[in-house]
Amino acid sequence: MKWVLILALLAEPLAAQAARARLEGRIPDVAVPPVDSLVQVASGEGLPTEPLIQKALEGGAKHVTAPRIVAAVQVSLGQLRDARSLLARASADTSVPPPEITTVAWALRRGLPAPVVERVVAALPRPPRASAMHAVADLTGRGFDPDSAADLIITAIHLGLQRERLLDVSAAVAHELQRGHTRPEALAVVRRELPRVPGPPKPTPNAVVRARRPATPSP
Amino acid sequence: MMPIDSRIHQVLDGELAVTALPAELRPAVERLAAAAALLAAPVLAPSLEPRVMAAIRRPAPSRGRRLLRWLATPHTLTLRVRPVWSLALAATVAFLTLVPTGHEGPDIGEHEGIAQFVARFPGARTVHAVGTFNDWRPGSIPLEDVDRDGVWRATVVLPTGAYEYMFVVDGERWVPDHLAERLVADEFGRENSVVIVRPAHR
Repeated sequence: MKWVLILALLAEPLAAQAARARLEGRIPDVAVPPVDSLVQVASGEGLPTEPLIQKALEGGAKHVTAPRIVAAVQVSLGQLRDARSLLARASADTSVPPPEITTVAWALRRGLPAPVVERVVAALPRPPRASAMHAVADLTGRGFDPDSAADLIITAIHLGLQRERLLDVSAAVAHELQRGHTRPEALAVVRRELPRVPGPPKPTPNAVVRARRPATPSP
Repeated sequence: MMPIDSRIHQVLDGELAVTALPAELRPAVERLAAAAALLAAPVLAPSLEPRVMAAIRRPAPSRGRRLLRWLATPHTLTLRVRPVWSLALAATVAFLTLVPTGHEGPDIGEHEGIAQFVARFPGARTVHAVGTFNDWRPGSIPLEDVDRDGVWRATVVLPTGAYEYMFVVDGERWVPDHLAERLVADEFGRENSVVIVRPAHR
């Protein structure tokens, strides 16, 4: 774990140095210095820089104006800071890997209240927590009360479900909704069946045969 | 060669009675009479010659004809196999039949999964999936509408994780994936779709 953290901490400054090269030509020239500056700030604070670069590239691809790109990157930086603060509050582990910060920032962006995120972090003392966050956010996105959604996922964690299997819990609830249950009924049905939830459908052999790796994009 | 007594000739020709011969010549007459009787007897297999000649004239059957004849002829096969070898053979056949060889489709790593993009854009000329999986650069994940029914599809191998994306239609129109269950604000006034790629090998 320590080595992973050390490697992650070393990788971030290197990524930050390469950020300018990735941004040039992809976003308006006038936006490159401020975005690069924000990336360097994030790197200096030990925050992940990739979400900031991705946000800038997204803005450039969508032909957004330079001020709006810079503003969006600033918002993303703020979300990363909030995520790290939340993780520091909720987790006993003082070292916070950058991917976990990205995960929590994403959970907050998906509309999960900070206290709910903290509960999920506390229920999972060690990373990765991404699937748990997405499972709760999936339920919240379907109109479930965030606390009730978190209760169900935390129960599943306590019953031994981990990682992507937690996504199967939220999928099972969605399935019960489709079968005509009300939201409280769907939660109750799935909770009663835990930890037995069906896995995801496997890709069909045809899909596997058709699958291709993305082509190398032209610069 | 001993010359035959002329009296023996006369006996064989019927000109002289056997009893008229001296006793020492009679055995010779009897042997010659027996030989003549043998020569006068009919041949046992009068059709042998035609059959031999027919066999000589008929061309030898080709290798393929001989094989066909062998295949069409019933044979008795006796296999003596130990049951353990039979089980091993059955297990090998089952393994080769049931276990995927890995030669179909791409090799998918431990931390990779398959993402399927499906969207309905009737009349579109091109559709691309663009997102954090390809640095928001159009061109690397084109969707295809093979049967021209307006439904565009792409199946790609991606590293596991969560990705934000949109579809780019005809190179200029940015459209979220309406079939995606997850959406997130893009900070530019619109919403990105979210896909979570799970490991293909579980």
